[in-house]
Amino acid sequence: MLFAAAAVLAGCARRPATPGAPVVIATTGDADVLLPPVTSVTTGINVSDLLFCRLAELKLGLNTVDDSGFRPVLARSWDHPDSLTIVFHLDPRARWQDGVPVRAADVAYTFAVYRDPAVNAPLAPFLAAIDSVVARDSLTVAFRFRRWYPEQLYDATYHMRILPRHLLDTIPPARLGAAPFGRAPVGDGPYRFVRWTAGSEIVLAADTTWFLGRPGIARLVWRVTPELATAVSTLLAGEADAMEVIPARGQLERVQHDTTVRLVPYPSPFYAAIVFNLRRPPFGDRDVRRAIAMAVDRPTVVQSVFGPFAQVAAGATGPMQWIWSDAIRQLAFDTAAAARALEARGWRRGGSGAWRSARGAPLAFTLLVPTSSGVRQQAAVLLQDELKRFGVDMRIQPLEFTVMERRTQTGDFDAAFISRTIDPSPASLLQWWSPGASDNIGRYADTTFASLTSAALRARTRAEAAPLWREALGRLNEEAPAIFLFSPRNNAAVSTRLENVTIRPDSWLATVTTWRVRETGSGARGRHTGQP
Amino acid sequence: MSPWRAAARRFGRNRAAVVGAALVGALVLASLLGPLVTPDPLAQPDPVRLQDRPPSAAHLFGTDPYSRDVLSRTLSGARVSLVVGVGAALLAVTLGAGVGLVAGLAGRRTDQLLMRGVDVALALPRIILLLAVFAVWERVPPVAVLCVIAATGWFQTSRIVRAAVLSLREADFVVAARALGAGGAGLVRRHLLPHVAAPVIVSASLDVGNIILLEAGLSYLGLGVRPPTPTWGNMIMDGKDVLFSAPWVALAPGCALVLTVVAFNLAGDGLRDAFDPKVA
Amino acid sequence: MLGFAARRLAFAVASVAAVVVITFLLVHAAPGEPMLGTADRTFASPDVIARQRALFGLDRPLPVQFIRYAGNLVRGELGTSFVLHRPVSSILAEALPHTLLLGGTALVASLLLGLAVGALQAARHRSRTDTLLGAATLVFYSVPVFWLGLMLLLVFGEQLHWLPVSGMRSAALEDGSALARALDVARHLVLPAASLALVQAAAFARFQRSALVESLAGEHIRAARAKGLPERTVLLKHALRGALAPTITLAGLSVPYFLAGSVLVESIFGWPGLGRVAYDAIFARDYNVITAVALVSGVLVAAGNLLADVAVALADPRVRLER
Repeated sequence: MLFAAAAVLAGCARRPATPGAPVVIATTGDADVLLPPVTSVTTGINVSDLLFCRLAELKLGLNTVDDSGFRPVLARSWDHPDSLTIVFHLDPRARWQDGVPVRAADVAYTFAVYRDPAVNAPLAPFLAAIDSVVARDSLTVAFRFRRWYPEQLYDATYHMRILPRHLLDTIPPARLGAAPFGRAPVGDGPYRFVRWTAGSEIVLAADTTWFLGRPGIARLVWRVTPELATAVSTLLAGEADAMEVIPARGQLERVQHDTTVRLVPYPSPFYAAIVFNLRRPPFGDRDVRRAIAMAVDRPTVVQSVFGPFAQVAAGATGPMQWIWSDAIRQLAFDTAAAARALEARGWRRGGSGAWRSARGAPLAFTLLVPTSSGVRQQAAVLLQDELKRFGVDMRIQPLEFTVMERRTQTGDFDAAFISRTIDPSPASLLQWWSPGASDNIGRYADTTFASLTSAALRARTRAEAAPLWREALGRLNEEAPAIFLFSPRNNAAVSTRLENVTIRPDSWLATVTTWRVRETGSGARGRHTGQP
Repeated sequence: MSPWRAAARRFGRNRAAVVGAALVGALVLASLLGPLVTPDPLAQPDPVRLQDRPPSAAHLFGTDPYSRDVLSRTLSGARVSLVVGVGAALLAVTLGAGVGLVAGLAGRRTDQLLMRGVDVALALPRIILLLAVFAVWERVPPVAVLCVIAATGWFQTSRIVRAAVLSLREADFVVAARALGAGGAGLVRRHLLPHVAAPVIVSASLDVGNIILLEAGLSYLGLGVRPPTPTWGNMIMDGKDVLFSAPWVALAPGCALVLTVVAFNLAGDGLRDAFDPKVA
Repeated sequence: MLGFAARRLAFAVASVAAVVVITFLLVHAAPGEPMLGTADRTFASPDVIARQRALFGLDRPLPVQFIRYAGNLVRGELGTSFVLHRPVSSILAEALPHTLLLGGTALVASLLLGLAVGALQAARHRSRTDTLLGAATLVFYSVPVFWLGLMLLLVFGEQLHWLPVSGMRSAALEDGSALARALDVARHLVLPAASLALVQAAAFARFQRSALVESLAGEHIRAARAKGLPERTVLLKHALRGALAPTITLAGLSVPYFLAGSVLVESIFGWPGLGRVAYDAIFARDYNVITAVALVSGVLVAAGNLLADVAVALADPRVRLER
């Protein structure tokens, strides 16, 4: 008891907030490994993004089509000698943190690693359009593509973070993930790796001599707190300064009431949809799907569950993408039209109001919902209610996330309430909705959609491409292989101690080098527990 | 006076034990009658506006993050805890007594085999096995939880029963009864069972509390009985995410758990003291 | 004595082997795909997942997988984690000391508290103190450890702000003195250890009380009293000495409780130990980690049981001769 008392007292002594005190990011999950092709977990990605650079970065506008949408990083400039080639000229000032300069051979090596089946990088399929990457001299590297399309620059720069060949090429590709490098990486980015205490924290220090300018924050620490409510508590107590997303409404309210932390809203890179399995009757019938989609009042459901914290999805896209628009054709909420559509296909309303097919089968199905998402569960309940009033019996089956993934991948489901992460490029649409794509879990196959998207992919400029993409999205809405419900508005929580905070929706720390720590006084730290 | 009568009287005189038994009775009643008078524990009449409401006249224990009434869910959860707790204890004790009887009455070889198995089983870390089993299952009905917990908890009872049977085998009155031609089953029923019953009953009643806590721990981890079916453990799991903004969500099921386990432990202690007044 | 110990050791080894086999079989029979991990993971296409399964040898038949696993185990290799891509042995090596610190502290605290309370109750048998303490131990004995942890967190962490709410260390104490850092860890240790210790202390107190009451009524105690020795001496020298072996037994048998408790408590308090590793691995279906944790737990439990059995045998020679 005395021991405990002494421990408590020792900590209660206040320590003044020192300038140069680290900026602490609260996160609920630890990183898996810090090696770009292998890293798959959010925290791992956030940290490695600051350790390893791309050839060029998207600006805040997320324009993936025009060259003007990118700014130079490792590549100081680039040109298009012909329609199938991009040549990058590396910045000679770029260095690995062990002093060795970044060279074209690193880029070629990186491409080989990302594409190596033994490494099995999840991003490998996105590089399929690149035929080869060749180092022409130590500072010049040429990317050769299989065909012309306007997003060549995007594909060449967005998916790969360049790796140090001289430190990694002796490691067999199959062992790259397990190599010690992944736990003590050497990068070329604005931050240097300092220390990683498993399950507790990851510490990065600013590289003051970074060739593109010194980062505004001297030290970054990711603090792992597995419980969400506790993580928010550390934020409010001043033990943490930032959090990528405050997900639940209850937690948002806690943060809103606190004066030392402010919320920074930004469009999330997600949309959620109820995907129908077209192989299961009656979902093979387009009109049945359309009817169900029209029987649902999406704006009301979204407003009820989220309030101002989400938007109704305009289609298989999110506000982050440049194709998002109010002009996309959507199915209106119209129960009368829905009823007519069903009747035209031979469905009849029984005595209780429930729809029955010509053969007497009820219009009933089971919706799989992951237990990991409270909001999707709430939305599902509201939808169930609406559909019941319309005469459709939707049962909700909550499942653990991994179990649900297995069911959807093996096709063992009626409908699934899934969430998709989108890239800045609309081409990511194709992964899930193209006929034959392995992630097209509902097996939606539509040649019109396919031809619309092919045309969009070939358009020369954004102005040309946008209407084609919107046309494709409109078609998707009309065919209703899914009900596209909502795209959340993320809220990052940031201490008032931090200034000049901007957030790029696809990668919230992309602009962290421009963030600054306010120099004045005590700020939020040390308010409750005396910790600096 | 028969030993049963004497034990009952001792129990009745023990105030704490009576309180415990009464509490158990009250809990059983509440779990049976409660859901009849309170709203449906699965209902979400207003999924968003009723989220995380503090206790009020309409919702005595408030509402949870899914807008469900906490009081009715707590009463509903009592059913799972009581059924699993008492059921698993009874089943485990039956299994253990059965194996112990067989081991005690059978020949040396069978006895050795069984007891070696029991020894190894006793050394297994129960919680690890339970975690592994329930992590495997998608949706676990309460009956399955009951059976698995019972299946991992009968070993000590078998030891106790076997020891009692062995000591009685050589007792005078048994030898005499055998000499008089009394058969096996009659012997078991009239002489062995009463002697064995007392420690078995006490061990079972003290077990109930532990089993209830075990089931709660499993459902707190998201294993065992899953939401939306309410169990006290998974209600606390829901409540921990809103612990600081809506503490009543975790408070109600937790207090219910403590109250229930205290009740069973009081009654169990009372039973133990009633059968074995030496230690009081 | 040695023969007895050897026999118990054999049982211990057999039970550890049983744990490994059972866990391996159960875990591999689980529905749910290990490669997908948690909802936190980025999207991976089915081809990538299929290739990952092949790389880890998960597409081979179960007996083949088990033989490979057993072979590796004998060589001391615990496999690689699917989620973290690193050797399981290094994950365990980092986490185990933290759990031992937490569990060990909780065990010592619970023994000290529990035995003291139990002795006090026995000394003041049937008095008001006894009744009050008895009620307190009953309540704490009946509390679920995870709920106690959450309540302590709520009251002492969040409401009163006396103690840190999460983690093992404060973020910015890297260049403090060794003493400051040790005190920092101690502060972070208080709440999780208290959650574990209070419940087990109540169990120890209940046991100690009845054991002491029984022994205090025994013959040689009455003789000591008759000799005119002061009550305190009677208590300390005679009664407690008889309670030493059972104490070791209790401590040994409480290992499973502390292991189970650590799975629950470490997640609540963000303590980076084996319990949290186990918790995360179960939900991510990280097979190799789960079986390795089962193995380590089995070993710890077996060690605890062995200790308990030896203590009992030392105290009671009759046990050693048991067939």
